[in-house]
Amino acid sequence: MKKNMSTTTKSPATVLGSEDSFRLLVESVKDYAIVMLDPGGHVVSWNAGAERFKGYRAEEILGNHFSCFYPAEAIKRGLPELELKTAEKEGRFEDEGWRVRKDGKQFWANVIISALRDKDGTLRGYSKVTRDLTERRQAEERIRQQSKEIMELSTPVMQVWRGVVVAPLIGSLDSQRTQQFMERLLNRIVETNSPVALVDIMGVPTIDTQTAQHLIETISAVRLLGAQVVLTGVQPAIAQTLVHLGVDLAGITTRASLAAGLQVALDILHLQVVSKNGTH
Amino acid sequence: MATENISVIKLRDLLLVTVPPDPDDDTISALQEQVLQAMTRQEVRGLVLDISTVQTLDSFFARVVSETVQMVALMGGRTVLAGMRANVAVTATQLGLTVGNAITALDVDRAFDLLNAAPAGEPQP
Amino acid sequence: MNKSHQGELLITSENDIVVARKIVRDAATSLGFSLTDVTRIVTAASELTRNIYHYARSGVVRWRFLNQDSTVGLELVFEDSGPGISDVEQAMQPGYTTGKGLGMGLPGSKRLMDEMKIESVVGKGTTVTVRKWRG
Repeated sequence: MKKNMSTTTKSPATVLGSEDSFRLLVESVKDYAIVMLDPGGHVVSWNAGAERFKGYRAEEILGNHFSCFYPAEAIKRGLPELELKTAEKEGRFEDEGWRVRKDGKQFWANVIISALRDKDGTLRGYSKVTRDLTERRQAEERIRQQSKEIMELSTPVMQVWRGVVVAPLIGSLDSQRTQQFMERLLNRIVETNSPVALVDIMGVPTIDTQTAQHLIETISAVRLLGAQVVLTGVQPAIAQTLVHLGVDLAGITTRASLAAGLQVALDILHLQVVSKNGTH
Repeated sequence: MATENISVIKLRDLLLVTVPPDPDDDTISALQEQVLQAMTRQEVRGLVLDISTVQTLDSFFARVVSETVQMVALMGGRTVLAGMRANVAVTATQLGLTVGNAITALDVDRAFDLLNAAPAGEPQP
Repeated sequence: MNKSHQGELLITSENDIVVARKIVRDAATSLGFSLTDVTRIVTAASELTRNIYHYARSGVVRWRFLNQDSTVGLELVFEDSGPGISDVEQAMQPGYTTGKGLGMGLPGSKRLMDEMKIESVVGKGTTVTVRKWRG
């Protein structure tokens, strides 16, 4: 049996829900602070999310200027006024930054301020929707920390003999990678008390001036510690490039293979032992 | 102004100078003075500068060390800089610092080994 | 964190160079910079504070925590009323010096930090501002 669907023309207000139920909707949302400001920036409405994020109850905060949610530094720089002006001019302003709760604690927020205009375009006020991103920020921080750790794991510096560490280099060396590589290598040298470090560049397909300079920088730093670098895995193509680039590797021992480099390392260590025991 | 005590110990004909963690400029200058005094008093053929606790190596420190190395060399001795920390070495390199003709060693033990060894001990590339 | 986010130190004696290092070390460490970055920042501060003392005999070092997007940083300002630098570009050349043979303060500090700004007027003084952001 077919159901008879009555079709009554409903007014827009009833189709969307009454004004009352709409207000109930906004007010009870807890995950977003939805606040309305008058054209001067004073709070005229406050929802559950706002109370949750900022700590104020509605009766405490209505009438206050919204700049009270900003850190002192931001107020000094005129940030709140600037945001309202931008929202007024362009209709909308979005930003991420620190906001201040009632208890003085700061939280990281994503804020969207929209200008509210009536049919003739008169500015009636602003809506301000705020999301607390503190958790997301903490998650980003954790990811950043983990990526650093992963990077460290992917190019380990291994101790292969007493007094010898091997650091395989893969890819090219930009400034940032060089810093990380240098720190890792030097720390391992100190930790293991190794006078010789074999830096293997077999995994470096091409070498440019920048990488070469960063390598030389790394070798200088190792020397300051009291250790020395033997550059291994120097293939014919790389050797040719280094000569053509005019890179000065004087005083740096190099070998074509890691095995040959290890032999040099052992010779150095042996010599150290021999001279310690006195040699003629 | 109070100058931190730099420890200067004489071991046979070698000097061991231990530098404190964060010496002020006066202390660093005093280091050079004390080394020179020790060297004029008796025969010193080697100086070990223990910087294993030093946290900041700026250009002033590096210059004083460099000068000291030169002075010791002129008087017939060798200097070994021992125990530089990894973070200090990275920073010093980035800053472009050199420590003159000082030899470097991972620690004081190795520094003494170096000074007690026969002069020509390094392999050629 | 309970530590204050900014401060300043008056430089009036040679001993203040080491005081500046300690204060900057504390600030950088509390911001969570790595040990090597702390070392870089403190070393730059040592160079620039020494410049204040040697060229002007007195000045001020200011420090300030920075907050931008999702990262934090440290800003240091070195201000003096000394002779000023007539040619900043020349002063940034490594090895160039008019002083006691140091000549590394400015170019060296620039390498150690992420940003550097120099404002100087001959006869009036110099202000060097440096910043480092936490990786």
